[in-house]
Amino acid sequence: MQHNTPRRQLGGELVIPVLAIGFTLYFFSTIWNSPWTAQVSTFFIGGVLLLVCGIFILRCVLWLREGTGTLGFGNLFSRGDFTTGRIGLFVTTIGFCLFIDSLGFTLTTFLFLSISMIILSKGKRPGFITLVSALMALGGWAVFILAFDTRFPRGWFEMTMKAVLSNG
Amino acid sequence: MDSSTTQILAEVFVDTISYWWVIVPTIFLGLIVGGIPGFSAANTIIILMPLTLSMELETGLIFMVALYSSSRMGAGIPAILVNIPGTAGAAATPLDGYPMAKQGKGQQALAISFVSSCLGGLLTTIIALATMPILARVGFYMHSVEMIVVMLFGISLIAAIAAQDMVKGLIAGFLGLMIGSIGTDVVYATPRGTMGFLELYDGVPLIPALVGLFAVSEAFIIIEKKVIVSHEGDVRKANWHDTFEGVRIAFSRWWHIVWTSIIGLVIGVIPGAGASIASFVAYQQSRSFSKTPELYGTGHPEGLIAPESANNGVTSGTLVPLLVLGIPGGATAAIMLVVMQFHGVSFGPSLFEAQPKVGYGMFMAMAVSYVVMIFTILPLSRYMSHVTTVPTIYLAPMIISFTLVGAFVPREYMFDLYLALGFGVLGYIARRTGYHVAAILIGVILGPLLERYFLLALKKSDGDITTLFSSNLGNILWVALALSLILPIVFDIRRKRQAAQE
Repeated sequence: MQHNTPRRQLGGELVIPVLAIGFTLYFFSTIWNSPWTAQVSTFFIGGVLLLVCGIFILRCVLWLREGTGTLGFGNLFSRGDFTTGRIGLFVTTIGFCLFIDSLGFTLTTFLFLSISMIILSKGKRPGFITLVSALMALGGWAVFILAFDTRFPRGWFEMTMKAVLSNG
Repeated sequence: MDSSTTQILAEVFVDTISYWWVIVPTIFLGLIVGGIPGFSAANTIIILMPLTLSMELETGLIFMVALYSSSRMGAGIPAILVNIPGTAGAAATPLDGYPMAKQGKGQQALAISFVSSCLGGLLTTIIALATMPILARVGFYMHSVEMIVVMLFGISLIAAIAAQDMVKGLIAGFLGLMIGSIGTDVVYATPRGTMGFLELYDGVPLIPALVGLFAVSEAFIIIEKKVIVSHEGDVRKANWHDTFEGVRIAFSRWWHIVWTSIIGLVIGVIPGAGASIASFVAYQQSRSFSKTPELYGTGHPEGLIAPESANNGVTSGTLVPLLVLGIPGGATAAIMLVVMQFHGVSFGPSLFEAQPKVGYGMFMAMAVSYVVMIFTILPLSRYMSHVTTVPTIYLAPMIISFTLVGAFVPREYMFDLYLALGFGVLGYIARRTGYHVAAILIGVILGPLLERYFLLALKKSDGDITTLFSSNLGNILWVALALSLILPIVFDIRRKRQAAQE
């Protein structure tokens, strides 16, 4: 019977409780010397969080003993992360955060969209992707920066366009 | 309703109508984005948040409310035509909508869905608007102790109802509360849990949190499907006869629309019980009271009316706890709260005294949006299904770039971009492993509020912790809180026993 149903990947499911326990204990350490009234709310919330995490870990131990779960991470990481381009998208997202301050919104968005879409499409239709990326980046600039003057990061492109438009 | 309230409502109505230039295009936008699976109203509002934040408060609120209402309705389109609900709230819609489409009645089903959504949403908005002065008084009875219990109640309800596993729901909610407690405390100004980041001394900024938890994590999930829509259900060719026949069928079942939409309103008022719960409850109730329950699931119009009326009833319901108590009833309400806080709006009973046009204006905007939708959606229904074919290779990077940069806008800290990315990773792990991201977000929002009320209650009682059990209303709420946690476990055990016996 057990062989017919896939076993729960408890390793993945335990990531958040383990992070929660670690964070709660760290949080407690930062309020250790605070007055009682400043501690009570955090101790209450943290206490409940530790309790429910404890209950979940206990359940996991029982599932492991019953053989209905494993300590695998299959629900979190899989080969599909590479084949779908998820890892590539994550790397380009970090790049987006790193470069947007210096390159500005429009140029970074164009580069991010082009590279990400090419990765996700496995290199198919680069011309179309470049066109879509350029239109999206320019559209974003026109709506958010030109029309609504939103506080998006400005770089070379925005400064040049501002100079061009202000000089008529 | 006294004469001053009536006068305010009349003024708000005229004001809202004058914003037709916001409402009409927003409705079209909402219908389109609502039709893209996985692209909920919440995500759309997040993506367009830089735009919303740059608008005046009134314009921004009308924009968000119109988008919320119309995207809720748009979500029913792919559910009917291609068996893929645009949002979780439309999950019950294909049960009878898709069989109708397979029978060649796709346009009829769309028309039924649109009329049910519009009438259901309009009716519940009027009910909420009419009862708002009474509901607003609820806030006067809510002191610090009661507010603590209500907030914990909201978190536990999300855990019990919205999350599939209550323990996981509680972990998500209380983790959110812990994250929301980061920053300096309001009395002693001691930094707690900041990991040394000066940017966190004022607490966790909400916009990066919601951008990460909802939009970024969603983008990393949707790329699993190369093309969002499977080609299993072909979009049918349109004809006007079917459309008008659908309108007739829906109007002939007006009473069904009334009572199922009220189910949605009531469920919407409960924090955490969103449109997905409401639509299934309404569907189940509709079948239970039907004279022809055997027809449900085969393309029965009433099986389509019930979930669509209910999930639009939720739309106005979720605004009630948001405006009266400052507690968001769902993900979209949570995002509205963030935007309204950015504009300096204070919630609770004082909202209806200090800024009545904001409080009543949101409901009025919703009512006007539903009225406008009646006139705009029918001609569009035949073209809507095309938006469901947007490939994820284009969609996911667009979501990431336009939402991440939105996290930067409020404070102009690059740190907030990384924070949003961090929350994105947390949201991704949560989604992949069955934790509820809405519970985390609502926890992050309620964390600082809960702490403030805790400190207030303790200050009033000179540090006596038993003050938490000192009020009658509070004690009733504590009992309700305990029951909300215990009863699902009892029902679950009973259900398993019955299943074992059978």
